[in-house]
Amino acid sequence: MDTSSTPATEPTAATAGQEEKVWRAGKLEPMPIRTLPDAPPSVHILGPTVFLVALGVGMGESYMWPRLVLLFGPEIRWLFLVGVTLQAVVMLEMARYAMATGESIFFGAARVFKPLMWFFFVVAIAVYIWPGHLSAGAAAFEEITGIPWTVTAVCGLLLVGVVFSLAKVIYSLLESLLSILIGALVIGTAIVAAMVGTWGDVVSTVTGMFAIGYIPEQALSAAWFPVIVGSIAFAGPSGMQQMWYTLHLRDSGAGMGAHIPQIRGLRHAGEEEQMPSRGFMFDTDNPEEMKKWRGWRRWVTFDALLLFWGVTMLVTISFTVIAQAATRQTPGIKEIIANGEREAALSAMADSFASAGSSVLGVIFLGFISLIGLNATLGLFDSFSRGQADMTYHFVKGAKKMRMSHLYAAFLWGVIAFGILILLFGPADGPSGILDTLAFLSTFAMGAYCVTLLLVNNRMLPKPIRPKWWSNLIIGFGAVFYLGMLLYSLFAYGVVVG
Amino acid sequence: MAPDRPSIRQAAELALPGLAIGAVGGAMAGGLTLIAGQPVGWAAVSALTLALPLGLLGGLFSTLCGLGGPFRPGVFAPAGLFWLLAFPLSRLTQEVSTGLILDGQVVLAGGVAGFLAYQALVSLGFAIGFVWLHERLMPHWLIRLAGRNPVARTLLQRYIEHAEALDHQRRNRKARGKGQTKGVR
Repeated sequence: MDTSSTPATEPTAATAGQEEKVWRAGKLEPMPIRTLPDAPPSVHILGPTVFLVALGVGMGESYMWPRLVLLFGPEIRWLFLVGVTLQAVVMLEMARYAMATGESIFFGAARVFKPLMWFFFVVAIAVYIWPGHLSAGAAAFEEITGIPWTVTAVCGLLLVGVVFSLAKVIYSLLESLLSILIGALVIGTAIVAAMVGTWGDVVSTVTGMFAIGYIPEQALSAAWFPVIVGSIAFAGPSGMQQMWYTLHLRDSGAGMGAHIPQIRGLRHAGEEEQMPSRGFMFDTDNPEEMKKWRGWRRWVTFDALLLFWGVTMLVTISFTVIAQAATRQTPGIKEIIANGEREAALSAMADSFASAGSSVLGVIFLGFISLIGLNATLGLFDSFSRGQADMTYHFVKGAKKMRMSHLYAAFLWGVIAFGILILLFGPADGPSGILDTLAFLSTFAMGAYCVTLLLVNNRMLPKPIRPKWWSNLIIGFGAVFYLGMLLYSLFAYGVVVG
Repeated sequence: MAPDRPSIRQAAELALPGLAIGAVGGAMAGGLTLIAGQPVGWAAVSALTLALPLGLLGGLFSTLCGLGGPFRPGVFAPAGLFWLLAFPLSRLTQEVSTGLILDGQVVLAGGVAGFLAYQALVSLGFAIGFVWLHERLMPHWLIRLAGRNPVARTLLQRYIEHAEALDHQRRNRKARGKGQTKGVR
């Protein structure tokens, strides 16, 4: 690539009169060179990937893909394999910038072209202030307990706000909480799949992932193509969730994130260290530092492949097996799932277990949907507030007079207040409609962040730590894949995603 | 720091986290059956016959962690192999017991071999969830035991060594947060 305009490492005058090396990336403030911390062992269990799994294992895994399998057969799952694998590579590339600089990908985007960052700022507000993601979980909880879903949703919103405001360090609290919830989800879905599924279900589900190129004729229709595009976008983390992962990675202290203070809850905001106005870079000419860097890359690769890819795959396979068992027990469910709305289909899947004499499984299924809703709510509200606070702090004039924790709390309580108002006074058919809009904007944002990643990692990082050609190729494919499918759906069928 | 003569009792004290995860996982079905309006007896049998073997085997796993060998903090493969055998065994116990108690007969989908093969496949998922939770709960339990149980103390030491790099990293951050980041703006 053309490196004529790429940044350079050069010494600059430090305040103490000594020469301080900095890394100039774009026109924003250069990054001082600091030491890269030692990487932890690459094989590990817990880490910031828990956020991505919590956000990623959602409606796509529990509902959209099982639904497509029931309609088009297990072979359609090759598209899921492509979607999740692509997301694993995106995760690795997001981590590259965040670990090398301690900056979020939003900051990286601003270094390339500031309006690009503002685009994501606006998209985040447009997409994520709606409380749509709460509805499925709360509706499932209503099926179990009879408590109206709006009551559960409002209580859930307030609870999230209070918990995050009281926490000393939000990251630590949330990592512990989500780890336990995801652990329970994985164990629970495995047990249910073990009780209702068969060898044939799981074999067809797994082998279906390798039917590369399989597209049934029915899928190429105005009714179903947009649904498939939406489902691919919802395979793993969708929308801006991968971008927020860079903020969690930083707060976990990964790579140069160790030089950035953690965000604290509102009650402990006074204890927060001064947030630096930009990130840091390590000396990429130093072989010792590069050795540590490779250690960090091994650590995050383990995260991406085993924890993220593996757990996401596992939960989806379990849900698909459960859905296949449901159609075996109640053949009519296929029509309900094909024609019905999401809530009706989820309810039908739960009912099918009950009709087969295992009403417990119906309740458990709905319990998992509630759990997924809770995970998504915790993860999304934190991530949204984190991202918006980061952009505001660094790029809104005068915002640095406040602490990052105050900005975080302002966005958090802002989105909670708006959510409650919408839940109480919004349109009755809000939730489903909101999810459709979210799916469209999610897909667009995903194509846009692939382009952003290519620009940031190839122009704003020193040459020795830039992505390899094959990685660029995959991310480039991602941009074409997400945007191409979206536009094809729009122009060929006149419909966005579903 | 190594225990002079680890007793069975000392090692068995470590069982609680695995026992709890296995038992709660197994009991999930029974507990929710009650909410779903099923007879209490049906729910109890379903819960007990799965919670008991999963709990006992989960406890065995935790105990084995204390005895050293292949079961080490942060390593998944031995746990995966353990549950490859233990999970199908637990499910077989549940199916056989439930069938005999409630229906007087046992019907296994796909025959014994097919049933066990399928359960072995699903055990991977259970193992991942189990290890995920076990790694989170075990250190807390060890801290409580370490004062009086040398086996727990040794295992806790292994957890500490495993987390050493992370601790080092956190210390670095704290030091830099207080020093270098001040006045950067």
